[in-house]
Amino acid sequence: MRDTYDVVIIGAGHNGLTLGSYLARAGLEVLVLERRHEEGGGLCTEEVTLPGFLHNIHANYHTFVDLAPPVTDLDVRGHGVEYVRPDVQMASIYPDGTALTIHSDLDKTQASIARFSERDADTFGRLHSEAHGYIDLLLGTLMYQPPMSVKELTKALAAFGVEDRSEFLSVKLRRETINQFLDQHFENDKVKAHLAFHGAVCAYTNDVAGLAIGYPLLIGKIDNWHLCVGGSHRLAHALWRDLAQNGGTLVTCAEVDRILVDGGRAVGVRLGDGTEIAARRAVASTVSVEQTFLEFLDSSATSEEFAHKVKTDVVHKDWTLFSVHLALSELPEYDAAEFDPDVNRAWVVNLGHDSLESLNADWATIRAGGLPEPKPNAAVNSLYDPTDAPDGCATGLLRQFAPFALADGGEGAWERAGRWYGQHCLDAWRRYAPNLSDDKVLDWAVDTPLDITRKLVNMPHGDWMMGEVSLANMLDTRPLPELGQYRTPVEGLYMAGSTQHPHGYITFGPAYNALQVMADDLGVEKWWREI
Amino acid sequence: MSADAYDAVVIGAGHNGLCLAAYLQRAGLRTCVVERRHEEGGGVNTEEPVLPGFRHNMHAQYMEFLDIMPMVRDFGLEDIGLRTVMPEAQASIAFEDGRPPVVLHRPDLLERTHASISRYSKDDADLYCEIKRRAAKLEPLLAAGLYNPPTQVNDQQALIVDTIFGDLGLGSYHAAKTCKIVIDELFESDELRALLYRACVEWGFPVDDYGTGAGFLTFVMWTMANWKLVIGGTHNLAKAMTQACYREGVDLLENTSVESVIVEDGRATGVVARGKEIRAEKLVASNADLRQTLLDLVGPQHLSDLWVKRAKDFRYGPSHVLATPMFCLYEAPHYDSARWDPDVDRCFYTMVGYEGAEDTIRYIRDAYSGRLPKPAAGTWVNSLWDPTQAPPGRHSATGWYFFPVASSLTEDEWTEVRASFNDEFLAVWRRHASNMTDANVITHRLYTPDQQERKNLMREGDFSNGEFSPDQTGANRPFPEASQYRTEVEGLYLCGPSAYPGGGVHAACGYNAFKAIANDFDLPSPIVPERGY
Amino acid sequence: MPDIYSDSWYEAVRDTINARVATLPERDVPRGSWHAVVEIVGDGASPYVDAESVRRFLVRIDDGHCAWYREIDTANPDGVDLDYRFVGPATAFDEIAAGTRDPIDAALDGTVRVRGDMRFLMRQAALVKTLLEAYTHGVQTEWPQGQPPYNGSGGDA
Repeated sequence: MRDTYDVVIIGAGHNGLTLGSYLARAGLEVLVLERRHEEGGGLCTEEVTLPGFLHNIHANYHTFVDLAPPVTDLDVRGHGVEYVRPDVQMASIYPDGTALTIHSDLDKTQASIARFSERDADTFGRLHSEAHGYIDLLLGTLMYQPPMSVKELTKALAAFGVEDRSEFLSVKLRRETINQFLDQHFENDKVKAHLAFHGAVCAYTNDVAGLAIGYPLLIGKIDNWHLCVGGSHRLAHALWRDLAQNGGTLVTCAEVDRILVDGGRAVGVRLGDGTEIAARRAVASTVSVEQTFLEFLDSSATSEEFAHKVKTDVVHKDWTLFSVHLALSELPEYDAAEFDPDVNRAWVVNLGHDSLESLNADWATIRAGGLPEPKPNAAVNSLYDPTDAPDGCATGLLRQFAPFALADGGEGAWERAGRWYGQHCLDAWRRYAPNLSDDKVLDWAVDTPLDITRKLVNMPHGDWMMGEVSLANMLDTRPLPELGQYRTPVEGLYMAGSTQHPHGYITFGPAYNALQVMADDLGVEKWWREI
Repeated sequence: MSADAYDAVVIGAGHNGLCLAAYLQRAGLRTCVVERRHEEGGGVNTEEPVLPGFRHNMHAQYMEFLDIMPMVRDFGLEDIGLRTVMPEAQASIAFEDGRPPVVLHRPDLLERTHASISRYSKDDADLYCEIKRRAAKLEPLLAAGLYNPPTQVNDQQALIVDTIFGDLGLGSYHAAKTCKIVIDELFESDELRALLYRACVEWGFPVDDYGTGAGFLTFVMWTMANWKLVIGGTHNLAKAMTQACYREGVDLLENTSVESVIVEDGRATGVVARGKEIRAEKLVASNADLRQTLLDLVGPQHLSDLWVKRAKDFRYGPSHVLATPMFCLYEAPHYDSARWDPDVDRCFYTMVGYEGAEDTIRYIRDAYSGRLPKPAAGTWVNSLWDPTQAPPGRHSATGWYFFPVASSLTEDEWTEVRASFNDEFLAVWRRHASNMTDANVITHRLYTPDQQERKNLMREGDFSNGEFSPDQTGANRPFPEASQYRTEVEGLYLCGPSAYPGGGVHAACGYNAFKAIANDFDLPSPIVPERGY
Repeated sequence: MPDIYSDSWYEAVRDTINARVATLPERDVPRGSWHAVVEIVGDGASPYVDAESVRRFLVRIDDGHCAWYREIDTANPDGVDLDYRFVGPATAFDEIAAGTRDPIDAALDGTVRVRGDMRFLMRQAALVKTLLEAYTHGVQTEWPQGQPPYNGSGGDA
């Protein structure tokens, strides 16, 4: 690589690549440095079981397709990304053999809900339709622009009288949990369980106060779940291709060791092997706050007080994900298909949570460092993606909510517990899909919470959202008030990764918003700003 | 997909396909590469298939051609991510009884190589170093040989041997011998012989085939201990090549398996991939193996009887069939032999499990005959030079077992091999390096030839996509009528390792295919005068 | 009474807007210039915009006041850096002008789509509401207030 670029970006996750592409298209010389051997960060697809079985190790669900501006601005489809929106999006299978299915077709979803409660089916229809009406407006206001404060937003909501105009949005939601929201609007336990499960899969934990404010938005895109054909990594390839076609450079296996500061300004980076690369105009970090300010910089570059805040005030998720990746010789066949045949075509299936209490109890167990009796969710991408497994076979993913550090032995205990717990998760799946006997499971591999952090070191504590998802840690206070607008105490250094508003997930939001701020500061023409 | 019609469609994003695509696009042809897998690079792959942070080159490991590979310079790969290191100690053999290792150093440290071989034989050391010095001078000739379409190589090689080594008493007479006979005639040391036999095998020179002597004296001796490591793993080379393709504007479609080549009026006009037509207005080039290209993708109905027969007769393995064991370690191995020469503990490529020449020959003959050999391997610990390949304070070790072809064992037998063979090898390894205890091995995994076959469609696990034998190398590769990268289907070219010069990371198949295409379509020649090829 | 979307109607809207903005406290009137395009999409019901055609009006706001407006024939007028775009079916805009449809509701239910810096709109709620109020209730059109002379039905989400 060369020794000088206009902008050096640390981390080639989807945010780093996205930011790089926009800036490269604006004519800047961009270098994106990635520690791993592959670009994409959480967009990693690997053959961890057998040849030909493509496992999404991390990001699997693409829910902001056609909502996030970069999907069109950077023409990811033109670069080979094929998104599929499964017609049976999700399901819950309950211990009593009943099942609820969420479809891409709202009528079918309502019909499924109606089997549990006619009233809830109506309510869901109204909530879905209301949320669909304002999803663009809300995403434009809340996600795809640098954040406003909760106070400002509350004030504006009141000024425009939104509360009187909406059945479901209200200012008081900023203090309420998703549980409260669901209890207030819905009556059936199983319906509520599925809707809360949906929130949890999006990292919106149902018992956390304040997250109810985002819940209508989640329902607005409850049927916008897409899978990326050939694995999520395809999106990373597309973003890289856009970057490279526009003159940007990606270098993998390049571990940043220091951010170079001169006269209070970030002027470049130094790699682990001593190579120094100068950045004429800016350095942007898309990795963790801790790496950026405690490893890459001395406190002298910021202040003792700020460094201390990074150590003590950055909040990480209090639960994470335990995954089992499976190579299967056939698709799961659920007993619950007798109740609702569509469950056999559901992309993502919640196995067992049938009430809010069931979820709440598991959160309590997990927060105490315990391992709940597995109620995993199962995703079988092969249902909708013929390229992700050899002919006639299927690739499976079990995800179980789990703690990072176990009460007994800390996170290191996962070394021994991983395989054991994986077997329990698999057994739990078999109780619902008895055809998945040992001979149908060709191979399986676990990805423990500890593995998350080991593989993607920018996700400390197995924190797959790179920062707790709570109202206090959203908007302009995420991850710290000093960093809330993507600028940092070091001039010329920006934060542009999932540590920033809105949060992790394949939202493109942090990069897109950091881009606006950087464009203002650097005087970059906003070619993408098509009004 | 940006378009469904291109000037050129390249089947397979192995490194040869990427090389060809970059040159085609630069020459003004709208080019699309269609790849079956989710990753580019084919055998140039590095993955984390065992534990997070432990990277393993699952296929290609040491790089011997980067200095002469045209694409590296022509597309500025070092500006866009390619970084390498050349370890001082390059190839070694360690012994169970702790006797001195043989450690071959890189060409600029030949005196250390001399000292190491001298422990066993001063005469061997003198002769090895002399041949090595002369072989180094062959580089321009070898490069020109690689990066040009094949001629009758065997005659040329014999001539070269006469010219370069004649005064050492070596001549075309030696070219006709087997590698083993040449090695035995030249060197008396059992230890050096053991190391060199194994080296020949990796180069695809069957030690017992007559006529391979020239290859040993030229190619093997030139490449021996002349190896680079790609920082981050070999896949980083594929990444740089891909980035070059992207910059030129090549379209690369992954997860897109080609089902057939469209032939209209005797002309290749596109491919069908995942049920969709991708038109090629000028040409289709295939990086897939010969039989797949001609019989599966084109189909016998578009070929003459002769070409169908040639394709059917083309053989795969037993040369170039490897299994890849991967180990996640706390400490790098510390060899008992290191008490004589610590360099063996910091050597790029170390052979373990061969106690002498006879042992190595038995191992090779077993594998060639379809029998599982006793546990022994060439091993490497890339994290010694490149800390990015393992987590902090850990080491990532990988190796090659030279194994029989995939079809010599049943699926169940391979499953059993995967379950047990690494442990057997570890027991051997531990006798060479006492710190390689169970406690030092976090975990391990084995990739077998049958899996290589499934992963990269390398038939029989043969990474060269075709046996290396006198009737299938040089101007005979893959068969004489197809040796100039053209096929009897107009507009269809071969650009993968089934074509000359074969397997290995040199990108010569792709580069030479481009030359043929440039000639046919009146495109600018890629030859750089000062390079000469 | 002016015909809707006629020059005299726009002049009347502009005058009304400016008169009302003049009454706002200074802190509610941001300094600076903005360009907005209003895109009125023919829906077959409104007689003022042909079905399947679009009428676009470019409006310039200086220091909170409407400086000028003009009908344009392109989505992206040359030399103008657009700040906002409001797009919706003609019926909806007619109904908003007639006072029978609430403009904020129309934005919330997705009938009228808003593009541009939402933070600024949220922060300037007072001004935005004043502008909307003037547009909605400030000018009498040729139809009786509250009753466009046709059965508008387009645009409901």
